[in-house]
Order: sequence, then C-alpha cells, then structure tokens
Amino acid sequence: MNEIEWFFPERIEEVIEILKKDKVVPHSGGTGILRSDFRRIKGLIDLSLLSLDYLQSNNGIVEIGAMNTYYRVVQKLSQIAPNNVLIKSLSDSASTPLRNRITIGGSVAYFPIWSDLMGPLIALEAGLSLIGEYKGDYPVLEYVRNRELRNKTLITGIRFKPDNWDSYYYRATRTETDYARFNITILLKKSNNRIENVRIVMIGNKERFKRFTALEEYLKGKNIDRVKIQEIGKNLEVSFAGKKMGSPEYVKHLAGVELERGLSRVLAIS
Amino acid sequence: MNEFDVVGKSVEKIDSLSLATGNARFTDDFRLENQLHLAILYSPHPHAEILDIDDSEARKMNGVVDILHYKNVEGVLHTTAGQGYPEPSPYDTVLFDRKVRFVGDRVALVAAEDKDIAGKAIKSIKVEYRILKPILDPEKALDKGAPRIHDGDEFTPIPVKYSPERNLAAEIEIGFGNLKKGFKEADFIVDEVYTTQFASHAAIEPHAALSYLDEQGRLVIITSTQVPFHVRRIVSMVLSIPVSRIRVIKPRIGGGFGGKQEVLLEPLVALVTLRNKRPARLVLEREEVFRSTRTRHPMRIRLKTGVGEDGRITTLKMDALLNSGAYGTHALTVLSNTGAKVLPLFNKIENVHFIGRSVYTNLPVGGAYRGYGATQGYFALNQQLDIITRKTNQDILKFLKDWHIREGETSDVFRALGEGKEGVSQIIKSCKLDECIDRGAKEINWYEKRDKKIRARGDRVKGVGVAIAMQGSGIPMVDMGSATMKMNEDGSFNLNIGATDLGTGSDTILAQIAAEVLKVPVEKIIVLSSDTDFTPFDVGAYASSTTYVSGGAVKKCAEKIKGQMLDVASGLLESKPEELIIADEKIFNKKKGKAVSFEEIAFHSLYRENQFQIQAEASHFGIESPPPFIAQFAEVEVDKRTGKVDVVKFVSAVDCGQPINPKLAEGQVEGAVINGISYALCEEYNFGSTANLLNCSFWDYKIYTTLDIPEMVTIIVESFEETGPFGAKSVGEIAINGPMPAIANAIYDATGVRLFDSPFTSEKVYNRMKEEGII
Amino acid sequence: MMEGIFRINGKEKRFTFNPRSRLLTVLRENGYTEVKEGCKEGECGACIILLDGRLVNSCQVLTASAIGKEIITVKGIGDIHSPHPIQEAFVEASAVQCGFCTPGMILSTYYLLKDNPNPKEDEIRKALDGNLCRCTGYVKIIDAVKLASRKMGEK
Repeated sequence: MNEIEWFFPERIEEVIEILKKDKVVPHSGGTGILRSDFRRIKGLIDLSLLSLDYLQSNNGIVEIGAMNTYYRVVQKLSQIAPNNVLIKSLSDSASTPLRNRITIGGSVAYFPIWSDLMGPLIALEAGLSLIGEYKGDYPVLEYVRNRELRNKTLITGIRFKPDNWDSYYYRATRTETDYARFNITILLKKSNNRIENVRIVMIGNKERFKRFTALEEYLKGKNIDRVKIQEIGKNLEVSFAGKKMGSPEYVKHLAGVELERGLSRVLAIS
Repeated sequence: MNEFDVVGKSVEKIDSLSLATGNARFTDDFRLENQLHLAILYSPHPHAEILDIDDSEARKMNGVVDILHYKNVEGVLHTTAGQGYPEPSPYDTVLFDRKVRFVGDRVALVAAEDKDIAGKAIKSIKVEYRILKPILDPEKALDKGAPRIHDGDEFTPIPVKYSPERNLAAEIEIGFGNLKKGFKEADFIVDEVYTTQFASHAAIEPHAALSYLDEQGRLVIITSTQVPFHVRRIVSMVLSIPVSRIRVIKPRIGGGFGGKQEVLLEPLVALVTLRNKRPARLVLEREEVFRSTRTRHPMRIRLKTGVGEDGRITTLKMDALLNSGAYGTHALTVLSNTGAKVLPLFNKIENVHFIGRSVYTNLPVGGAYRGYGATQGYFALNQQLDIITRKTNQDILKFLKDWHIREGETSDVFRALGEGKEGVSQIIKSCKLDECIDRGAKEINWYEKRDKKIRARGDRVKGVGVAIAMQGSGIPMVDMGSATMKMNEDGSFNLNIGATDLGTGSDTILAQIAAEVLKVPVEKIIVLSSDTDFTPFDVGAYASSTTYVSGGAVKKCAEKIKGQMLDVASGLLESKPEELIIADEKIFNKKKGKAVSFEEIAFHSLYRENQFQIQAEASHFGIESPPPFIAQFAEVEVDKRTGKVDVVKFVSAVDCGQPINPKLAEGQVEGAVINGISYALCEEYNFGSTANLLNCSFWDYKIYTTLDIPEMVTIIVESFEETGPFGAKSVGEIAINGPMPAIANAIYDATGVRLFDSPFTSEKVYNRMKEEGII
Repeated sequence: MMEGIFRINGKEKRFTFNPRSRLLTVLRENGYTEVKEGCKEGECGACIILLDGRLVNSCQVLTASAIGKEIITVKGIGDIHSPHPIQEAFVEASAVQCGFCTPGMILSTYYLLKDNPNPKEDEIRKALDGNLCRCTGYVKIIDAVKLASRKMGEK
C-alpha cells in the first residue's frame, strides 16, 4: 500500500488546485471511502475547514452544504421544511452514530445502491454545485448518470425547491437497521380530489434507480377516486438482481405492494 | 418458599462496574512487548488437496518472522471441541493439513512485526491446489460414490460409530417400546420434515488469543475461551509440551454462546511463541469469525408420529440428519442432545425410536451453540404437536400439560442417551411446567387471541403460538467443577474457581452461593476465576453446567470453611459447634449470649493459637442433570400481502429452580430469546457458487437491534430443585429453544400455513401462503 | 506517518499514526482499550466515542480527520471510583452481561440524555440503534437508560 497524503485546505481555491492531482479524492465523512477501494487512493482532501456545513432557505430554495451530516440535515431541515421527505428518509438511514458521520456530499458522490438520500434528491429534482474539473451547477440526475462528473470534481452543495409536497418514504429491509434492498420515494400534490403533480422514484433496482415517469403521467391530473391502485403494483416495470431479502421475483412483488401502499397513503385512500 | 439472605437477590454483578467504566480487560486489551502479529491464509476452495505451498516470496518480506503450514508443522490429530476427555468428537483435525475441506479452512499462518505486514505476506504465499469435488448437500454425503472428505488416520477416542470412509461423523440409534405396534394402534400418522439453518454465534467480541513466555520460560496463553482447562490440555497434546509448562488465563470474555468452546487460535499463538521465543497476538476480524470459526449445525429432522383419534400419541420416530460441515466437532453430542433433551419431555409416548446421523460436508463447521441440538429438535417437535392437536381438535395447552414429564417421573431416554455412551437415569424432582404454561398463557392473553385471526393494521393478521422445552444442568457423571476458598483477616474470603464467566455472571452467582453459606454480603467474597495456575479445575462454561455443577462445588467448599470457622468459634466461645449459629458476620451462642466476629475468628486462626489457614477445597459433579423447563409464547403479525412476520410480543415463563440472581437469570432468558427470534426470522448463511460465505459481516448478516425487539415478558416461576445448590437449576441455554417453533406455530395461527424450513423470511412465508392458496 | 494532537478525555495527546489508519486502531494502540473492536464495519457500535460532542463509530473515522478534535471515551465520563450515573444505572439494572458492548451503549445513552433528559421508550430504542448486543436481548439495557434518566433528573 502506498502512503497517502492528506490535504487540509481552508479555501475553495486551494481545493480546486489539489483536485487536479492524480488519485486525490475528497474526504467528507470517511464512511464511503472506507468501503470503497481505499488502496488506490493517493491523497485525501479534508473538507472540514471549508464551511460547507450551511443549510439555509433562500427564495424558496433550500441550499445544503456538502459537509452536512445526515443528522444535521434532519435537525436543520425540520425547522425550515418540516414535511420534507428527506427528514424521514435520512432519520431512518443507517444508525445514530453513522448518521453523525455520513455527509450529504459524500453520500451523493458515493451513491451506494442502498442510499436513503438519492431517491428523495432525484424526486425533488435537486441540483448540485460542483467545483473542479466539472465546475458548475448540474441536476442530480445528470450527475448520477454521468460518472465522469465525479472525476477531479467536488460537490460543494445541493439545492432543491422543497415546495409543499405530501410525501412517502419506504425502505425494504430485513431488520430495522439493515441496508435497504430498495426504497421508494413518492412526492405528491393534490387539490380537492385531483392529483396535481406526482413524482415516484425507486432506488436499488437493476438500473440502480428508477423514476416511474409513465406512472407519474398516468396519475397526473387524475381524480383520486379514479386511480386504480390495485393495478399499479402488478404492472410495475422494474426488475431486480441479487438475492438479498429474497429472489428478484419476490422483491419485485414486494416493491409493487409497497408502492401501492405508499400511493394509498399519500392519496389518503384507505 | 425458602428464605435466603443472598441467594434469590439481584445483587449487582460483581464485574459490572469495571466493565461499565471500561476498566475490565478483554483478551485484546492486554499489552505485550515485542509481540508478533499473526494472520491466517484460508482456503478459497471447499474441497482441495494442497499439492505445494511456496512461501519464498513472503519470507523475503521485511518484517515477516515466521510462516507455518503443513510442511513445517507436525500434524497431530485432535478435535477442536473443548469437551470432557476423552472427547466424544472425532480426532479429524490437524493444525495445518495437506487438504482443505471448506472455504475458510486454514492453510498457512504468517507471524510478522505488524498486522499489515502479516496481512500482505499472506497474500504472497503461493498455494497449488488440486480441486476435489465437494459435498454441499448433506443428504448426498452418505451416497455411494460420494467424494470422501476425511481420508487419513482420523479416529474417535471413544468407541462410537464413526465411518469417515462414508462421510459419517456420528450415528446414534436408540428405541424402546414397539414402533410397529405403535403405528398400528394409530388412527392416523403425522409425518413431517423440518429443516434448520446455519447461524453465527455473533458474540460481539471476536475470537482472540495471546501468548508469551513468562520469566521462567513457561508458556502463558490469554484467551477468549469458555474452556480454559480444555485449552491447556489440547495445546499440550497438539504441541507436545507438558501441561506443567502451560498457563491459561481467561480474562473478561465478550460473549461465547458455544462459539468459544472451541480451541482454534490458542495452539497457533502458542506455537509461534515457542518457535520464536516472542509474544504473539491473534485477533480475528469479524469476517474471519464468520468464515472460519463455528456455526450452529443445520439439521433436517423427520418426525413421524402415530396418533389416535382421541389425540393420543401412540408412537414417535425421530430421524435426524446433522450437517457437521468439514469437521466433526460436537457432531455426535449435538446430535444425541437432539434426542436426549427433547424426547424425555414427552415421556408418556410408549413407543419411541431415535435415529440420528451426522455427516461431513464441505461447508462451514458446526460446533456448540446455545441450545446444542435441542433447539433444532424442539423446532420440529413443537410444530408437530401443534399439527396433532389441531387435527384432533384439542386445546394445545391442555395437551401439553397432559403429556409432559412431571415430578416423580422418568424417561427411558435419560438412561439410553448419553454422550457417546449410555446416559444416566434420573427421576424429575422439580417441574413447574404447568404453572409456566398457565402464567405464560395468561400474559399473552392466549384464549382471546388463539384461532381468532385478529386483523391488525393494513393487511396484517395476528396469531399466537406456544412452545415448551426442557434442557439439562450439566452433563451427568462427566462435568466436574471445583473451588477453593480461604479466609482473610477481615472476614473476607477468596473464592477461586475454574468456572468460566463469559459474561453470564457466573462469578457473581457463585459468589452469592458462597456468601449464602457463610451469611456474608457478596462483597466479602473475592472471586478469581479461570486461571489454570491459580484456580482448580472446571470443565468450563457449557452444557448449562456452571450454576448447578460449579455451584455445587462452591457450596460444598463454603460449607467446609464454615465448619472450620465453627471449630475455631467453639473454642473461643467454649461451646459445641451445634450450639452455634452464624449471622451478621458473627458466630453466636445465643444461650450464653456470647458472640465472636468473623474478624476475630480469622485473626485467632492466623495469629494466635493453633494457627492455621481457614481454607478448603471441594469438587462436584452431577450424578444427574435436572432439567429446567420453559413455556414460551409468541404473538405475531403477518403481512398477508408480503409475508413479512413481526413478533409483537414474546413471553417466556421458566422454571429454573431457585434463581440465584433473578435479574441475571432473566437476562439469560432475554438474551436467548432475542437470539432465538433473530434466528427464526432473519439469520442465515448465504453461499456463493463456490460454497463461499457471502454474508460474512454484520453489514449483511443481520442480528436484532433495539429497534427490532418485541415487547418482552419474562416470568420466573418459583421452584426448588433439591439436588441443586440452594435449589438452583440451569437457565443459560433453555430459552433459545422456544422462539422458532412458537413463532412458526403463531404464523400458522395467523395464516394457516406451516413453515417447515427456517428462517421464516418474508419470501418463504409469502410463497407458502401462495402454495396453500391463502392469497 | 502523520502526527497530530488530540484532546482525549480532557487531556492533550500527541500521536504518530499511519495516514490510512482508523481512529479506533490508533486509540487502542495508545492504550484507550476501553474502545472495543467488534467488527470494523460501523455496525456493532463497540468502538463508539464522542468526537467533538457527536456520537460516532471510531472505526469509521480516519484518524487524520480527527486531528485537533475532542474525543471522549467511556472512561471520560466516569471511572470506577466516581462513576457516572449512567454507568451506575447500567450496573444497577443488570444491563451488563459480557460488557463488551457496554462502553458503546453507555456513550449512546450519554449522547441521548444530554439533549433529551426524559426520553420515551421509542426514543431510547432509536438512540441505541447503532449498538449491537448479543447477551441481553436489550431489555435490561433499555431499563438502564430509563433508570439513568431518573438518576440524572434527581441530581
């Protein structure tokens, strides 16, 4: 194993320079790095001196600095957007000591298949602020589709419009602290008895993540009484690989059932 | 009920404050100067012959000090099972073999200046394997033409059935009555097959061992073990060094559950220390614990019962197949326990036949695990009884009460089934199982919930199930424990015991037993346990033996001390010993109105007249093994759309005789129950295509957390076992037997489907509901 | 190798360490063996410490990222001569069996009660969700947290 070099930049400009080095990656909480192929890394950039732990709301946009831990996001977001789906998804994620360590920036960059962060971010159509090789603002969807954006680049923050979605979040696990086999995020807006807008995202399927745009289109504008919930799960177009928590066929069934339950819940249909 | 001063009180566990403040030391907490760090190379193949090992590159690495493998270590056949001697397990293991028999089998070991170097060196050892066909299905192990897993000089040190040429690690057959007649008398037959899975002990402290040479060149081993004296004996045998040259110290142990009843690491550190004259340290990583140590034996049990229309069981045949994995550790005794601890509970069945076979496979190695085969057996039997009582429209609680063994009764199984030989006949002297059933049923609200299929939120439906069980209290005529005591000037006493506290609190309850005899507060008893140089022999912590067997020794020993104190006091008080009573750390002659304090007695004996040390020793072995009894009740909610099972409430009512320390006894039950529920619902080994364990981490092998546990109720039913110390029986293992069958029976109550194959994952329950057309 | 100063249980300490090392390893190597190693996966909680007041698994912290920070281990909240009420509560409630998980459990309790002196049962369960115990079935541990809460309320 080669020696590893640590950098402790105090200004963003320094980070940009350090990022240019070969195999030097940001260190935020460290939990992802310890799970990835640590041997290939030559340098780590400690981000703790960069004041990237802000969380604020500006003109209806929530801005979260990359160095916020899950715990801090839950604490601070509860004050400015108490119904936000991230509060539920992140407070159920991992465990108390890990929620104190996992950061939101590191978690987006690492994006494990059990992520409790990415479903809500994709559903919220969040944007990312990047510096380094791919400086600029990117939709989170583009970042997860294009792995190249991780190269010599740092996420400094995440932005989204919290709006006033009704939300539902479900994690499929064997025990409460298990890593989710899949998870479901549903955001919904309704007025009177009509679905105004809906977003449905699942993480952990064969494609890693999936936004059910066809289903969203079917639901949009519909009168709630006309929604045939029982049809949705069976016809869900999603597939799974691996054996954790059961065969892919069973997990698909489970995903269908839980999606139906989630929709019933947000639509307040019993 | 009996009135005691110290026994029956939940005194504070004597080591708990030192543990809670981080003072107490576990094996890996001891510092050693100039130590070598060890790393092990494991087999990636389930079955292969080692053609050659080339360690030349590793030897060249800076910091590598020694490398061990079959080429330079003598292969002494032994068993890693820490059991009574000669062991009932086959001698089929050597430290480094020319053959590997499961993924995780030991191939080589590196000793290096630091852990990283050792780890790197391991990777540079080149091993040439000739891959052999593995046996991965225990059902096929005995087939003609099956590959032979052990083909050396393996043997059993006691005369038991053992045929390595057929991959048969053990076979037991007993019977009484007339099976044929029994089946003939039956109106119908219930014939079912139950299977259970691998499981990890998951003690939070990984296996660890250290060794060094003391000032006199003797070998000292500090180890996380349940069996320090067996460690000393086995290390002596495997390394051909006299017992007198070895000292084994057991510090605080971070849980065992049977997983540390195995002598795995100690010979390795010892060998490195002896070869290099340097201290050695080996602490397994969690992944290694999963891959290479021991597991619960998976079993397939076929139960065939003849039943009369009136619900009478006319006959019972139990056919058990135990998957021993690559080695035969505990293969015979876990198997025999499946019969020995299960069948006597239903002693009124006249015609009984038990046949058990343990087979070698190229899978992880089974070993001792809390419950020790009884768990697997009770899974089968309790479900079978649920089936029978449902078919014959009987109230299962009444049925259980009618059929279970009672005080004054015996079972032929006690006599027939021992550890590789005949067992020991015994008559049950204490059994409060009826009361356990009644109080447990009341707590779970049995009659309001049974057969009601109460709807819960969403698509969930409720059900309740029951299971009863017994265990033993040590292995009769085999297990021995001993104690020595001496008295100090201030009226305190040293209690030295071989008994092994692995977190259970045995140091505390043994101190309570001594304190009760001497009528002193427990603080006056200074306990030293499990140091082979300073404490007398004890077989160790297994087979639910410590309270009953070691406790018996402590009681005898303290009584001898008391006798000596009375002798001294009778001189001082000019009284006959029988005129004296002990209370409040004094000895009184009430008639004369005179008293002498313990302190005075101690000073007198040590300094004044006819000086001597008040001291004693005592040994004890059980001539019988009185079983504790338990009734356990599960309330579950089953999600009918997904098959997910949640245990919402779990009740255990246990008769463990007189609990020495009620809270510690409850703790044993509670820990065993949660382990049992977790085993029933989610713990299992997932294997990859080469029989490699995939979920060898807490990340993927999930055990229950605070968020998963149900409402728990533990009821200790008052009882008194006349042969036990102050009426005590065991409590360490029994409570793990009920969760799996009680939950299975509750799932049936909720859904009408039966789970014959554990664990009851959501998918299995869902599939069963589909198969049965319920959804 | 790297060097750094850490404030551990109120005392300043200078350690030399491998830049790839985990804080758990460095703490143990320097004598803080009350921090236990159970899995090195961030799953068991035996290695829990407080890092700048936050409960973390020290196995999931790279040592270099903790330079200059305040570390509290179970010995930092009380010792055998003057134990913390939480430590006493664990003893009195019979919540200590093997004791290997206990330092982590006690620190998780400490972290909970600091902000929430009267937790409800579900809050207690949630606060201990990062600590595995195989001995107790958690029943008496939850009792101990409740007892600790009462004890600290009385003080």
